[in-house]
Amino acid sequence: MPLAAYLVLAALVFVIGLFGVLTRRNAVGILLGIELMLNAVNINLVAFARFRADLAGLVFTLFTIAITVAEVAVGLAIVIVIFRVRRTIEADHLDLLRG
Amino acid sequence: MRLGSPELALLVLALPFVSFLVLALIRPLRRSGRPAALVSILAMAGALGAAAALTWQAIPVARDVNPSVLWSWLPADGGPMASVGVWVDGMAMQMCVLVTLISLLVQIYSSSYLADEPPASLGRYYAYHSLFAFSMLGLVLSPGFLQMFVFWELVGLCSYLLIGYWYDRPSAARAAVKAFWITKLGDLGFVAGIVMLWAATGTFDFWPLFQAAQAGTLQVDGLATIMFLIYLGAVGKSAQFPLHIWLPDAMEGPTPVSALIHAATMVTAGVYMVARAYPLFALVPSVLMLIAWVGAFTALLAATMACVERDIKRVLAYSTVSQLGYMMAANGAGAPGAAFQHLTTHGVFKALLFLGAGIVIHHFHTNDVFRMGGLFRQRPWVGGAFLVATLALAGVWPLPGFFSKEAVLGAVLDAHLSVPFLMLIATSFLTAFYMFRVVFLTFFGHAHAEHHEHPAPPIAMDAVCRALAVLTLALGLRAALTGHHAEGPAWLPWISLAWAGAGIVLAWTVYQARAVDPARLSAALAPIDILARRRYFLDAIFAGAYRFLLLGLSQVIGWVDRYVVDGVLNALSAGALRAGDTLRRLQTGRAQDYVYGVALGVLLLLVWAQLG
Amino acid sequence: MTEIVGFWVAAAVLVGASLAVVLTPNLFHAVLWLAAALVATGGIFLLLDSPFLFGVQLLLYAGGVVTIVVFAIMLTERLVGASIRQTSRFVFSGAVLAAAVFAAIMGFVLQGGAVARPIAGGDQLRELGRALAGPFGVPLQLLGVLLVIALLGALYFARAED
Repeated sequence: MPLAAYLVLAALVFVIGLFGVLTRRNAVGILLGIELMLNAVNINLVAFARFRADLAGLVFTLFTIAITVAEVAVGLAIVIVIFRVRRTIEADHLDLLRG
Repeated sequence: MRLGSPELALLVLALPFVSFLVLALIRPLRRSGRPAALVSILAMAGALGAAAALTWQAIPVARDVNPSVLWSWLPADGGPMASVGVWVDGMAMQMCVLVTLISLLVQIYSSSYLADEPPASLGRYYAYHSLFAFSMLGLVLSPGFLQMFVFWELVGLCSYLLIGYWYDRPSAARAAVKAFWITKLGDLGFVAGIVMLWAATGTFDFWPLFQAAQAGTLQVDGLATIMFLIYLGAVGKSAQFPLHIWLPDAMEGPTPVSALIHAATMVTAGVYMVARAYPLFALVPSVLMLIAWVGAFTALLAATMACVERDIKRVLAYSTVSQLGYMMAANGAGAPGAAFQHLTTHGVFKALLFLGAGIVIHHFHTNDVFRMGGLFRQRPWVGGAFLVATLALAGVWPLPGFFSKEAVLGAVLDAHLSVPFLMLIATSFLTAFYMFRVVFLTFFGHAHAEHHEHPAPPIAMDAVCRALAVLTLALGLRAALTGHHAEGPAWLPWISLAWAGAGIVLAWTVYQARAVDPARLSAALAPIDILARRRYFLDAIFAGAYRFLLLGLSQVIGWVDRYVVDGVLNALSAGALRAGDTLRRLQTGRAQDYVYGVALGVLLLLVWAQLG
Repeated sequence: MTEIVGFWVAAAVLVGASLAVVLTPNLFHAVLWLAAALVATGGIFLLLDSPFLFGVQLLLYAGGVVTIVVFAIMLTERLVGASIRQTSRFVFSGAVLAAAVFAAIMGFVLQGGAVARPIAGGDQLRELGRALAGPFGVPLQLLGVLLVIALLGALYFARAED
């Protein structure tokens, strides 16, 4: 398969994730969308690494995965704290910063 | 000419400064009161010792030896812009001795006079005193106009601080501000003058300026204007007409402060500066003439005001203004030596008069001479000392005032300034009159009210007065014995003695023998009397000028500020507020709305990158 | 031939699972669909000759992340006492914006010419190990520090109030 096929697939997954982030009301749902987007990026990185025979892409993917794990852990911890305080994880209700 | 060692001069300068730093920086010491006083007094005694050693070790040199040691200062392109250093000639050394001596005696006196003050205030007082002495010594030792100006302003600051020492009294605070602003008015001229001189010659230093002036190679356009502006500084500082009005109000400070300001540190600065810069003034006869006329007029004007004043300190203040007029007249007559001689002798006996007046006020708890009387019998020593100083001020042989005043009169006569000479002669009559008026009312006559009990003045105050009285006598006797006589016609001493005697006799007739009713005397001289009592309306004129010019201008500026400047700012701020109110709706606080923004931004970037 | 078939299968699963993640109303199901999407991504990695990353993907992502999310959901469900349904907002505008971004990215992808796929060669895992121990050594250590900090941070946030 050509490189473009992988890139189109990655782009598709990316915008699906973006759609999730934009539309989900639930904070955990938003986090899932972010996971999808990061995943799409990983596909891109690995595809470029393979087609350009450059190891850096693989190393970057490793890093991305590890950072994603950290992000999920912290993000979920924050969600739990918010839930504890506000009794909701509806993102629409979390608008303390409204101008 | 005599040359002193610059190291010793720096030591003289450093001791009061170190004392000031110690008192200013070490708070517990300052707030402890008496130990702070001790530090300051010891430093001052050290400075006096150094100044005496400086004079003692001075070596005679030729006239064309540069008496200054300079270090460059204010580096600029093409060499330093100015220099600092010390100028140690005979006049500076003598002045150092006078300043340190009077400062020391006043500080010792103050430790008793202000014994009831809270310790913290007393420490502050001594810190100011040390700074004052340092500033004046720095001014005296200045080798150039710029350094002199810096210390000149420091002196002004210190006098402000000390006049306003009781800053919680509204009158003292107002007097301090008045002294500061009136002298600043003159300082404006001073600073403009030295900057113009610098622009014309490229130097602030005295030595090259004097050399050029004496060689006749100083080519400066408008030198008369420049020297007039510099003289304005002296007008403010040395209380010449019409800027003399701050000095009587300066009496709001503690009495020892008045002694210091009048005798050694503040008002003498102007006379000293003109005497110091005399080689430059000598080039402009018109300014010299003005100095002499203004000086003589100031002397006469102040003397008339002193005659009608009831407040003993104010009488002394006007007498200082009057004597400063003498000194300035001598400067203007081309005799800075005579001016300086009168400055030193006047410094000694005026300090004595003020410190004696301090004891008198301490005794009677009033400043009003008409509510005093009969002190001589109770305090013969104080009375004796005061009498010595009074005779010296009146110019009676063989006291130092006689010789220095005669030198001044001789110089003025020599310069063919006949009208100023007549004014000064009249002044010497008035001086004798108003001083003996105070003496008769205070020390003789009968005590007005029976006072309960008067502790003797503290030993320190008494001893200081006695020391100054002895010093006054010694100075006079030395002048009498060395036959140090000013040139002048032989009839001059007799004339001035006769006028002084006439003044004393008149005072005796009116206030002691009461042969003439003072009311009839003032009625006979009604116009002058009324004018003098109203202080020639000068205060009113200044107040009116202040009110109409300054306040009027402030009102215009205030209007512009309120309606034009503020209007623009208000419009701007109102616009910003309204815009903010509109734009705040963009901030929904919901995270996903911000993600929309991010996504739109990314989209824009992508499109832009592809189109570009 | 295997690659083509594998790609289309993996791609179909990935896109379908992703759509399910963002569309299903049941949050718990969404997480399970995410696990499926992550495994499919791992398949893509295999097709790109990266078995090591496939393993990492399964272990860390599909294993670790999904487990954490499940825990979180169960925790919050237990606290709220009801199963969490999730709804969507502004579906239309979200879809439009997402489609626009997709179109823009496509513009780039289609601009690029065909890139030849080089023959995979050498021991990729060994090379990766060398790279991580060599030029990428410091970032790797920093990553470790980051993970520790994230762990502590998560613990700190989620600790029981006392």
